[in-house]
Amino acid sequence: MAQAPFPTRDEVDFVIVGSGAAGGIMARELSEAGHSVVVLEQGPHLQAQDFKHDEWSLDHNGELMWGARDGHPQTFRKSENEIAEERESVCRYAHNVGGSSIHFSGNFWRLRPIDFMEASVRGTVPGTNFVDWPISYEDLEPYYTKVDWEIGVSGLQGPWDPPRSREYPCPPMPIKGSDVLLERAARQLGLNPYPAPVAILSQPHNGRPGCIHCGFCNGFGCEANAKSSTMVAMIPLALATGNCELRTGCTVSRVNTNEQGRASEVIYWEQDGTEQAQRARAVVICANGAETPRLLLLSESSQFPDGLANSSGVVGRNLMFNGYTTVAGIFEQPVNAWKSVPATRVIHDFYELDPSLGFYGGGGIDGRHPSRGAPLEFAQISGSVVPGPRWGSEFKRNLAHDFSHVAAFDGHTTSLPQSSNNVTLDPDVQDKWGRPAIRCTYMDHPDDLATMRWFLDKTTELMEAAGANRIEGSYPETGQEGNVHLLGTCRMGDDPATSVIDRNNRSHDVPNLFMCDGSTLVTSGRGQPTMTIMALAFRAADMINQAAERGEI
Amino acid sequence: MTQFHLSRRAFLGSVKNAARGSTILLTMPMILAACNRAEQARLSGEEFQTLSEEEANEFDAIAARIIPTDDTPGAAEAGVIYFMDNVLGDNREEELFLLRSGLRELQTAVALEFGGAYFHQLDASQQDQLLTQIENSTFFSTLRFLTLAGMFSLPEHGGNRDNIGYELIGYASQGAWTAPYGFYDADYAEKGE
Repeated sequence: MAQAPFPTRDEVDFVIVGSGAAGGIMARELSEAGHSVVVLEQGPHLQAQDFKHDEWSLDHNGELMWGARDGHPQTFRKSENEIAEERESVCRYAHNVGGSSIHFSGNFWRLRPIDFMEASVRGTVPGTNFVDWPISYEDLEPYYTKVDWEIGVSGLQGPWDPPRSREYPCPPMPIKGSDVLLERAARQLGLNPYPAPVAILSQPHNGRPGCIHCGFCNGFGCEANAKSSTMVAMIPLALATGNCELRTGCTVSRVNTNEQGRASEVIYWEQDGTEQAQRARAVVICANGAETPRLLLLSESSQFPDGLANSSGVVGRNLMFNGYTTVAGIFEQPVNAWKSVPATRVIHDFYELDPSLGFYGGGGIDGRHPSRGAPLEFAQISGSVVPGPRWGSEFKRNLAHDFSHVAAFDGHTTSLPQSSNNVTLDPDVQDKWGRPAIRCTYMDHPDDLATMRWFLDKTTELMEAAGANRIEGSYPETGQEGNVHLLGTCRMGDDPATSVIDRNNRSHDVPNLFMCDGSTLVTSGRGQPTMTIMALAFRAADMINQAAERGEI
Repeated sequence: MTQFHLSRRAFLGSVKNAARGSTILLTMPMILAACNRAEQARLSGEEFQTLSEEEANEFDAIAARIIPTDDTPGAAEAGVIYFMDNVLGDNREEELFLLRSGLRELQTAVALEFGGAYFHQLDASQQDQLLTQIENSTFFSTLRFLTLAGMFSLPEHGGNRDNIGYELIGYASQGAWTAPYGFYDADYAEKGE
């Protein structure tokens, strides 16, 4: 069916900014409920045939992620006292229909009941904004199940998993050699490894085929349509309603408000620079944890001098990356961890670390290939993350041997919300549209670093138990300087003084403005946030549809 | 970005070498080999677009020490230099500038240490000696990165000829696999945990 073309001068029911993990779901849910919807996406509509195993173009030519060479510089600093410097790979995300659900690794861990009330159960951490969520696991569970079935998740309920109302639609992925090593080592240590849930189909589901195990998930688009991006799972359904128009190559510059302080139109540039304005009854911003706060800050006006929806001053603050650790081990026999999906086993015995350790934290462990199975990245990290010399004959011998004989055990850990970790507008650097660049200020909390250290030690112990010959481990011990998880910058909460949106994703300040993406998370979880971003999107869309029915938009 | 500089000690050391009168280490076979390579490129219609012939010879020689040719093909056979020529011409002026000034410094070191003019005319152990001195420099890490990228990127970008890089590491760019994938999962179905 042809897309609905809406004239910009006519008011549509909703403009959605961004078509990623949340925006794609929002587009489908709102249009299916009968609302007229315009989705503005700055990137192109790439599809299966466009996705190649082309590490160079993707990782070093900015094909999906864009960078300074494409006119999208970002700046970084560790503390607010420093002048931020231009840097590649700070707040990383894919610019295309489906957003980062196109190139994510697809690890789909649900949050657990504890995540929503950890501050009151565990106690808060002084100097941070570590608080409970305004909603509970029970509130979100039906929407997690919706993600399982409508987006498409493969897995098997594990011993530590939170309760679920329905089984997974697809069985878990076949185990990989790296995870056999992890599983056997974990049993030796008395732990409970179990199949990793992934947003990749192990068998046909919803008219899409099962995975062909090519090995190019993390950082790549799926050429088989087996990875459950919103581009394949949601956007086609949205367009088929006849109520949704998807406009690609459209970069939003600001959201305007009327005299009543309500969002009234969204201003954007078409690819050729032509400025357009789309009028709307309501606006939903799903632009990700870096771009959503930037857009709100850019939308300042005399009515909203500190940025739209920012009376709290919290927009852009409490940025959380999640921590990570990796231990690479070289084994006697071929592991071939570069084949198939990133991870097939997970260990969740350390979801909450013992408070008697003296720091807050927790995380999960899974088995992987240290370079996502990508050959060039493997060669790059050989001699650092993977042990050995960095050039010459022995380097070459190691490369030839290790690529297939390596396994990595990774830790994925908590990040505490801190005001001083944030996204703001850079005062000096601008992007190709003349907008202030994203300026990221970030330093992991001492507890976050201690948690990473703990997971590094635990995964090293696992690697030794697995029998690796050579072992090398690392984590960002001087603090992370960028990530793909962009969480917390428009946090959800009941108190308008300390949060940006209410429990139903509605702005406290602007009644017809909604934010829905990684920015709305209150705490970081243990990595793998997209499952929760998607569940929150289904829930927010449900709440918006219900409010619309009651005439409350 | 910082350029690489010879450490003061390395510089003084090389002056001493030069004072001792190191002979120029050009040999006919080396010259012929270098000429042959350039000639082959010309014959196959592959003129360099970005790099000069001299730069190509030098970077090619450095790449060949990063991934040497031994019982298996290395960076030279994979055509890494053509990858470099290709991508350095694609909006990468900064890297190109860095490499060019780094090369001038390296050639200065070649002259001081060994009395020659060109890195690619030194023998392998002399080349390794110089590269070891600069292995922490931005110049070297940029060339290392480009060498690896030329070795392991898709051949359509100019390097990794005949999938030499992929064959070296046992990677096959085929579209699909089925379990078991390796040694450790081979008996999982029967033995389980």
